[in-house]
Amino acid sequence: MAAEAVVEIDRISKTFGEVHAVDDVTFTVTRGEICGLLGPNGAGKTTTLRMLVGLERPSRGEARLFGSRVLPSAPQLARVGALVEQAAFVPHASGRENLRWWWESAGQRTADADLDFALGIADLGSAIDRQVRTYSQGMKQRLGFARLLLGRPELLVLDEPTNGLDPGEIREIRELLKRLAAGGATVLLSSHHLDEVQQVCTTVVVMDRGRLVRSGTVEGLLTGSGVVRIEVDDVPRATAVLRALPAVRDITSDGHDVLVHASGPRSDLVAALVGAGVRVETVTAQQRLEDAFLGLIDQGLPA
Amino acid sequence: MIALFRVEFAKATKRTRTLAALGLAVGIPILVGIADKARGNHVGNGDRGPGGDGLFRLARQTGLVLPGVALTLMSAFFLVVIVAMFAGDTIAGEAATGNLRYLLLRPVRRGRLLAAKSLVAFVYAWLMTIAVTVSALVIGVALFGWHPVNLLTLFADGRVVRIPAGLGVVVNPGRLVLDLLLSTAYVAFSMSALVAIGVFFSTITDSAAGAIAGAVGVYIVSDIFGAVTPLGVLRYGLPTWYSDAWQSLFEQNHLSHDMLPGAIVQVVWTAVFLALAGWWFARKDIAS
Repeated sequence: MAAEAVVEIDRISKTFGEVHAVDDVTFTVTRGEICGLLGPNGAGKTTTLRMLVGLERPSRGEARLFGSRVLPSAPQLARVGALVEQAAFVPHASGRENLRWWWESAGQRTADADLDFALGIADLGSAIDRQVRTYSQGMKQRLGFARLLLGRPELLVLDEPTNGLDPGEIREIRELLKRLAAGGATVLLSSHHLDEVQQVCTTVVVMDRGRLVRSGTVEGLLTGSGVVRIEVDDVPRATAVLRALPAVRDITSDGHDVLVHASGPRSDLVAALVGAGVRVETVTAQQRLEDAFLGLIDQGLPA
Repeated sequence: MIALFRVEFAKATKRTRTLAALGLAVGIPILVGIADKARGNHVGNGDRGPGGDGLFRLARQTGLVLPGVALTLMSAFFLVVIVAMFAGDTIAGEAATGNLRYLLLRPVRRGRLLAAKSLVAFVYAWLMTIAVTVSALVIGVALFGWHPVNLLTLFADGRVVRIPAGLGVVVNPGRLVLDLLLSTAYVAFSMSALVAIGVFFSTITDSAAGAIAGAVGVYIVSDIFGAVTPLGVLRYGLPTWYSDAWQSLFEQNHLSHDMLPGAIVQVVWTAVFLALAGWWFARKDIAS
């Protein structure tokens, strides 16, 4: 039996005048997945997420949540917790008032909210009763997490959720996402922190310039990345030799290492270097999502 | 809807600028009353006759007229700016802080949110007007007492003098209180179009200041067009044309025939601009 599709992005497009912010993108996120939405700035990630939660209307195609088309104020939004770009609040109200007002504005009773759990996530101590305008960016982001968890949502839509958080807080959020997913929640996460995505996500969707570049499991993306790290004694010479090879798409250097984006067998690269008198110390197939991601983006869009 | 209104009202009430506006709405009539009392019955150059300080002179006879003075002074600009502030801030204020998208990430109909926020702006338009009236009434009665008023004014040697019994038109306190209620209601109701225009601007911009300026700007332009006599009867449809119709209650002791068309004009402008705001907001991409 196929897993339930929680998020369905179906041939969705969004144009602003002449600009195609999102162009014919299709992907699905099934229940229990933690899906990373990756792409450089301007790839269309945020616009895609905004259409998914009904803030923007698609120019073509449609987004579906829990099997139903998303329209502004759609009832299935009650099952979604979202953090779109930075967390924002009523600045002259306290953190606690913000949580309460946000919850009650949909006609729900405060008693029905999971306030203790949410306040535990925010971990703001006595600051929860201070005006939000006095909060740091990290405190606001934590309060944003608390807000989206008030209703124990089945789907979390998170756009750059760890912006403004310190490394310790990022780790906490990472563990929280894992716990929520283990509890049956589905997560769609857009992030620039590729190592974070690699650690947390089970699947990824890569976008560039408004179009879908690749989607699939993280493992699948890493396996097919074709990125090799080669430690050499002469980086400039190795770079020149490798650049001349037709199989090599791109080269970057990092200390004594060259990072090679190439198709074909690794042995061809080593043979060319040795043949040119470059001493090769180590050759490692890259398992970093960052390299795989950059490799995909550098390749450009599929025809 | 009630819960939404309650939340939106609480948000508006907690703002420092709301309290500041309320402080001014209460404080300015007090200062006006004190200034009028300090001046006494002396009449300076330019104050005499129908074009002079008519309502001020009446206010010195009884504290029940001071609210009329305060409403005249404050409805021309102060209340317009304050009400435009509440209306212009409805949607644009939330958009400017980025909080609008979070309000709409819930299954809350956009029309319902707009209605709740607009209702808060209407309520505050009434509250501010009532604050002006009540403040002026309290200070007026404290300074000038609770008496009937004679609409006839006699001058002698540069001073207002007591009118002999049997002369003039005397209005008793009961009638003045009724006039006061009607005046306050009319002034507050005359802000309806301003609220609707401010709400409309608030839906089309993410800048609260821009929406407020837009609403005030429309009122200023309306005032200017009201003075362009070649426009003839077209001016009767302007939102500010009948704004002062209520003043006949105090100055001439009768209900002006202009008050009913004034109310109708407000209803039309309000309906049109609220409908436009709702239509626009329902289709708007929330990009802020």
